[in-house]
Amino acid sequence: MRIGFRLASATRKVAFALGSLALLCAGMPSAHAVPSFARQTGQDCAACHVGAYGPQLTPYGVKFKIGGYTDTDGKEGKLPLSGMVVAAFTRTAKDQQDPPADHTHRNNNLALEEASLFLAGRLSDKVGAFVQATYDGIEQRSSLDHADVRLAHTLELGGKETVLGLTVNNNPGVQDPFNTLPTWGFPYAGPALGFGGGDAATLFNGGLEHRVLGASAYAFVDNSLYAELGTYRSLSPAVQSRSGQGRDEDIGRLGGNTAYWRLAWLQDWKKQNLSLGLFGFNANIQPERLGGAPTNKYRDLGVDASYQFLGTREHVGTLYTSFIRERQTRNDLVLNGGADKRAGTLNEFRINASYYYLQTWGLSVGRFATRGNRDASLYGEGYANGSPNTSGSVLQADWTPWGKEDSWGAPWANLRLGVQYTLFDKFNGARRNYDGNGRDAKDNDTLFLFAWTSF
Amino acid sequence: MKKVLSPVWRLGALSLVPLAFASGRVEAADVRHGTDVFAQECAECHSVREGKNKKGPSLFAVAGRKAAIVADVAYSDAMKASGIVWTPAALDAYIANPRKAVPGGKMKYDGLADAKDREDLLAYLGSLK
Repeated sequence: MRIGFRLASATRKVAFALGSLALLCAGMPSAHAVPSFARQTGQDCAACHVGAYGPQLTPYGVKFKIGGYTDTDGKEGKLPLSGMVVAAFTRTAKDQQDPPADHTHRNNNLALEEASLFLAGRLSDKVGAFVQATYDGIEQRSSLDHADVRLAHTLELGGKETVLGLTVNNNPGVQDPFNTLPTWGFPYAGPALGFGGGDAATLFNGGLEHRVLGASAYAFVDNSLYAELGTYRSLSPAVQSRSGQGRDEDIGRLGGNTAYWRLAWLQDWKKQNLSLGLFGFNANIQPERLGGAPTNKYRDLGVDASYQFLGTREHVGTLYTSFIRERQTRNDLVLNGGADKRAGTLNEFRINASYYYLQTWGLSVGRFATRGNRDASLYGEGYANGSPNTSGSVLQADWTPWGKEDSWGAPWANLRLGVQYTLFDKFNGARRNYDGNGRDAKDNDTLFLFAWTSF
Repeated sequence: MKKVLSPVWRLGALSLVPLAFASGRVEAADVRHGTDVFAQECAECHSVREGKNKKGPSLFAVAGRKAAIVADVAYSDAMKASGIVWTPAALDAYIANPRKAVPGGKMKYDGLADAKDREDLLAYLGSLK
């Protein structure tokens, strides 16, 4: 979870008191690989995932997700349960001013980042689930993580195979089958105790995750056209507390006009595939949860694309990109001194490419940039020039020894070892001295060594 | 590695693309290309290892085999009742359009339209003994 405008809007007067928590959350891994899917389908991890490890989906994996996680090899007795553990060493170029979390050091942290249990797979012929409960080793607390429960039905419409589905989920974007949107975008594991990006992010980029509940209907026509429309409601603080999210970071009440929509085209030529998409997310948030209280309005509009060369799977290359433009109307923030300007924009651009050899050895490179209008109050302490602008690059090399047809321990043993380095050109508005205490963007460059296993 | 086809499968493949099998050298190249076609089109759901079933049955020694007889595979009723024997012609028809060849079958595959790719794939499958 990343802070910025949305956290400032929700916790206006304590936003930077939560700075360390924010940084801690900034790079929380979106790491998910679920071997129970492989056991259910009889497939190798490599059938659904580029590099034989989640969450980067091939078209086969895209269709499995759209099909409601219900596809099966027809054999009984498969339990839809999996587990996952991520441990990591994190080093920043310069010691952080304070330890990024309790029980951590200002630098060179070795930690159990998270341990998760999944209910993941087919619950009936037409119902499937991906529900994750996570113990956060940094915050040392457990919570309900991503949740996506689906109902899917396949039929023929106009001679075209069509999947009609419903999804109930707790994070806008978690239901998306492509890896271009923030929830499942690169990097798929990130430094919780270092820096994975700047502090400002669009609302769609994790701003509501796990604090809302939404439902949407979707259709996937002729294995090509994907369309989805849905809405979300905020969970009450009591429910947020019970699900382990805590009350303190309640984002407020979502208005009844909250809407998410998605259109995408997938062209699958087997050897290669291409997707092009558009998406939108509109939400009005009332931080005080009081009738008649002012709201902050967010209008997110995005475009995304991906290309995969799969070939014989010996050499696999991918390219993903997305751009999100967010228009903000900060009625509540201006009224309460959290922002100077009522209107503003925040844009996020991402592009990344990867290459995998033998579904085992991977190299990835990504570029990210966040840019927005200046606002001295909204982007005050910890930012330079009242600017949210952050940009940088991510390099990653990883090794995934198992997950293929003849792999040891298949389909139970899965492992990815990786080294990732994030470099910042600009952080929170400046290259140099962005925080007023002499810290430069490059001081946040982060080395992240991770071991990620699932079973 | 050059694959050797049995006489029956060589005859079947030759009947599908006479020119492609005009020489042994070309035949070997076709099997190699068939290996690639298999990796691109089939390997997600099928293994060629003996006894290794994925979502679909192992295709080891599929040539000449009766349909729906591999143990520990949940075949559709349609496939069980099809009475198919996997001759080159039957395989060619099935790979070209599975839903037409076995209506009500389970295989979620739209079919391989390219005749040359199918012939090379058949050559490869025929080599799996």
